[in-house]
Amino acid sequence: MFALEFPPLSHIVNWPGIAGEGAWWEINKVVLIYGIAALLTILLFVLGSRKKALVPTGAQNFAEVVVEFVEDGIARETMGEAGVKYTPFLISLFLYIFFCNIFEVIPIFQMPATARIAVPLVLALIAYVVYHGAGLKAHGFGYFKHALVPPGVPIALLLLVIPIEFVSKFLVQPFSHTVRLFANLLAGHILLVTFAVLTSGLFVLKPYLPLAILPAAGVVVFTAFEVFVSLLQAYVFTLLTGVYINAAQSHEH
Amino acid sequence: MQRIRMALLAAGVVAMAMFAFASPSSAEGETELRHDVHECIEQLEAANSIDVDCQAAPNPMVPETNEVIWGTVGFVIVFGAIAFFGYPQIKKAMNARTERIASDLAAADSQKAEADRLVADYQAKLADARNESARIIEEARQTADGVRRQLEAKAQADIAEMRAQAAADIEAAKSQALADLRGEVTSLAIGAAEQVVQRNLNDDTNRALVEAYIDQVGASN
Repeated sequence: MFALEFPPLSHIVNWPGIAGEGAWWEINKVVLIYGIAALLTILLFVLGSRKKALVPTGAQNFAEVVVEFVEDGIARETMGEAGVKYTPFLISLFLYIFFCNIFEVIPIFQMPATARIAVPLVLALIAYVVYHGAGLKAHGFGYFKHALVPPGVPIALLLLVIPIEFVSKFLVQPFSHTVRLFANLLAGHILLVTFAVLTSGLFVLKPYLPLAILPAAGVVVFTAFEVFVSLLQAYVFTLLTGVYINAAQSHEH
Repeated sequence: MQRIRMALLAAGVVAMAMFAFASPSSAEGETELRHDVHECIEQLEAANSIDVDCQAAPNPMVPETNEVIWGTVGFVIVFGAIAFFGYPQIKKAMNARTERIASDLAAADSQKAEADRLVADYQAKLADARNESARIIEEARQTADGVRRQLEAKAQADIAEMRAQAAADIEAAKSQALADLRGEVTSLAIGAAEQVVQRNLNDDTNRALVEAYIDQVGASN
């Protein structure tokens, strides 16, 4: 009745190439955001470590807050003192994901780079290698027994438990790790597009113009919500990485 | 002013969001046919059917090669920068601050202990000075008392001496006055008696009689 044409999914997440259309190195909007996210992360640390004031302000303060938050709130919280050495890796995950996410609400860009599966998948696979690597380093080849055979399970049940544990830890875990981030950001992006398209549709249809205020308010409210989601999903992804590393290298079940 | 600014900012964000998403094909809205679109049209024409795979939208669960490559490169650069530069630098600054604050606190502690010791010293000296001053004041008071007593005694003695002197002077003056008076009265009485007895008696006899009489009167007084 509103004659609204909602864009197909591919139209709101697939971006045309800015350079190298169709090539393996094609640069599109999402790739541009990866670059800016990486630059922002590096810039934050360059500016943060340039002046070493006793009372930190600006970038130094922000960088120190992030370091402290990840070191104390994630690394130590999930892995204890043994987790401190993973702090640089966890900070990289947290900031890179956060900056990729936050482009959802940055005008003109308005596209979370993590609403494309590539970065969540790559990061989940890197985390996969890191946590299984940590497990192998801590337990040697006994790691597979540590990972697949929960203590106290009757031998008869092992036939059932081992395949379940294998599928869960070695196949599903990286997939769920990827999809949790990717799907949350994609859903947020679709939500914002929905409200924006609805506002635009009502704006064009003059008799319904006053109704446009509702989806317009939705855009504002969900834009604020997406800022929160950007932070939360970066935190969840990083926290889970810490939890997985701890589960792999710990000597308890 | 601040509110108006915030309202304008919010309106700007909404307007940008609306324009950015106004056209559903904003992401792929080129007027020229893309290479893959052109290829698809050719495939459709060749098959003479719409059942050609190229029309299917790309599966969002399948990563694009370029995005995987650049995403990986971006993360590796970020990790390298943080692990080898950013994190150690920030931690160094934070640790240096922690150490500086700890040493400042330790220094402040020792300075406080020193200050406490000095205060105790000063208080002890102050108490000594107070005792000393109290002693001096007491001594002075006692000396003053002694001086006062001496002065009082001397004054009393002077007064007594002066009083005795005055009494002696008065007594002498009184005796002199009595003697003078006696002489005068005698002369007057003689003169009077002479008038009475009309030279019956000589002067010496008269005088003896009168003096005998005066002595009698003086003894009776």
